[in-house]
Amino acid sequence: MVTGLGVVSPLNSEGDLERFWTSVCAGETALGEIRAFDTSRYPYHVGAEIDRERLGLSGATREPAWRMAEVACARALTHAGIPPSTLDPRRAGIVVGTVLGGTTTGEQYIRAESRERERDAVPLAQYPLRAVAALLARKMGFAACALTVSTACASGTDAIGLAYRRIASGGADVMMAGGVDALCELAFSGFAALKALTTDTVRPFSRNRTGLALGEGAAFLVLESAQAAARRGASVLGEIAGYASRADAVHLTAPHREGRGLAAAAAAALRDGGFRPDAIDYVSAHGTGTTYNDAMETIALKTVLGNYAHRVAISSIKGALGHAFGAAGAIEAATCLLAMRDGIIPPTINLEEPDPACDLDFVPNRARQATVRAALSLSAGFGGQNAVLAIRAPAP
Amino acid sequence: MSHPLRLVGFGIARTGGDGAEETGGFADRLSAALSVLSRAGAHVRLVHSIEEAALLATHDALRLAGVRTPLGDNDIGVALGVEEGIDGIKAQYYRDVVKDGPLGASPIVFPLTTPNTLAARISIAFDLRGENVTLCGGTLSGAHALGRAMEVLRDGRAPAMLAGGATFLSREFLDALSRVSGSEGGPPGCAACVFLLRTQASTDTGGAVGQILGYAEAVGATDVRDAVHACLQDAVLAPSQVRSVRVASACDPRVLVESIRGVGVEAPMLRSPSACWHSASFPLAVAEAIGQDADMPRDLTLVVGSDCLVGAAAAVVRGGGC
Repeated sequence: MVTGLGVVSPLNSEGDLERFWTSVCAGETALGEIRAFDTSRYPYHVGAEIDRERLGLSGATREPAWRMAEVACARALTHAGIPPSTLDPRRAGIVVGTVLGGTTTGEQYIRAESRERERDAVPLAQYPLRAVAALLARKMGFAACALTVSTACASGTDAIGLAYRRIASGGADVMMAGGVDALCELAFSGFAALKALTTDTVRPFSRNRTGLALGEGAAFLVLESAQAAARRGASVLGEIAGYASRADAVHLTAPHREGRGLAAAAAAALRDGGFRPDAIDYVSAHGTGTTYNDAMETIALKTVLGNYAHRVAISSIKGALGHAFGAAGAIEAATCLLAMRDGIIPPTINLEEPDPACDLDFVPNRARQATVRAALSLSAGFGGQNAVLAIRAPAP
Repeated sequence: MSHPLRLVGFGIARTGGDGAEETGGFADRLSAALSVLSRAGAHVRLVHSIEEAALLATHDALRLAGVRTPLGDNDIGVALGVEEGIDGIKAQYYRDVVKDGPLGASPIVFPLTTPNTLAARISIAFDLRGENVTLCGGTLSGAHALGRAMEVLRDGRAPAMLAGGATFLSREFLDALSRVSGSEGGPPGCAACVFLLRTQASTDTGGAVGQILGYAEAVGATDVRDAVHACLQDAVLAPSQVRSVRVASACDPRVLVESIRGVGVEAPMLRSPSACWHSASFPLAVAEAIGQDADMPRDLTLVVGSDCLVGAAAAVVRGGGC
């Protein structure tokens, strides 16, 4: 059972969940010129950034990923209303999905390496990928596990999936799970070299889409066993009912053209959750706005949902937030839960010219009212990583 | 009731570092493995030695288990522990970007700046389309990967899982570690250790090189004690049934010994000679344990690992055909 959500994104740098949701549903975008580092040597300049001041990034915590994760986790715990004193630490754990960890800190270190004093002042302890999970486990006193999963852009989805399994198998009562990543030049330069970035804006599933924009953020879900949630009378937002991961096994940086791995993951997640394809009311698509991703995702959805793929509402929020790497899947899982709560499906913005190859109902430009009883949240990433969550709304 | 899993194959590949095989032997084995893959239609181009080690260890694990590849279905998943192994690659990549701007950003090297590339490389080379996860837990990376593979198998989500760890210890990483922790890092090198795990009930008739009877992990002030206690519970064993202990940790061994004794395990303890191999250390210690027990299949070894940031993990294993 999901009982709490915390989201920090470029649309709500301070972590106000309702502000995030209202902005996404209103079709706002956080994309703009990147200021976190100098992009003048690149032909690309667009990204979605957190307002570092509003995030409260200062003092000893210089690593934005740490601060974003701290804020999102704290918000999720508050949202769940769990008094920390009531938790059995040995039955509570954390799973963090991240691609970059404290890479911003690593970049500072490299830039300062010829200046010994400056270099030694860089808080290198904030660099390792596992450091965020360690920090959060220590802060919350969770003692069952502190896991870090790194599966490229599917990291956040896999983190939630692994936490769900841990609870389902009886290995924990409460899990904090989600993802975090901060925008940095290392990632930007790599995507630029691969010519995957847009020069203007992100247009998922559109004929004139030109690529993705990088973003950043953090999102965490509080997962509890049904018994634990019932025992304390928790308000349930939804249920992670199924999860699956599958590999494309074809290419390091390009997806399988027909979405073989994504379709297999979605089919397995549906089976795991006990859903028929036509039980799904909403699909949160990976929808990066790149030529190959959006086309393969359309094919994958047709493969797994059959004719029903043409009737289900599908949207991508990456036009609003950019691509937040390891946080993306977690933010999108939160989006599914908020869609269930309010009966609103967020739009795919900038979808003015539909691509004939992407001929499904992508909820263009305007949010839509709809009852969402079940949803799929899809993620795909470098290395042919695919992960899918099947999410069920709470019983009315 | 315990739920042991069969270790039906394992592979180890090491080059450089303390006590590793000669680079020549590594190169010959790799060349043979790539030839096999090439004959099967998989033309693999590797960029870095950590990829070579991971691929070679996987190849040997599958071969020992009698699995013919490329497989081409969803049956076998991969759970790999990788963390510090990419740090040297990442640092050099970014140094080139700082120096040369966009021209310094190599699209060939960039994918290797994310840890999941190794598991992806394995999935591509052997056409393994099942689960694919990469765990980053420092010296516990390989342990966390084994733990996830066990969860998948015990839940019946896959009939077989490859699990293990891989690392590349660059001079730079070792120097930084030395500055931060004051520890002697040892010489640079790379290592990988990968197991193929199956359930006891799986239908294949092949033998086993060992069994993994229980596994647990824990975080916090009493992490080692909690992990060992939970692991023994998972294996449904009393502390007195453990015949030997193998410690795979770079942390202060006295603290570990005290914690393990605190649970009531009195068996003799040995520090794994592979403890220096970080992400690969735990799987390597498991491999040592099942090798040691090959002629004594009833002997149970407790393998304990710990990481200064993310706690401790423990597994109970035994070697032989079981």
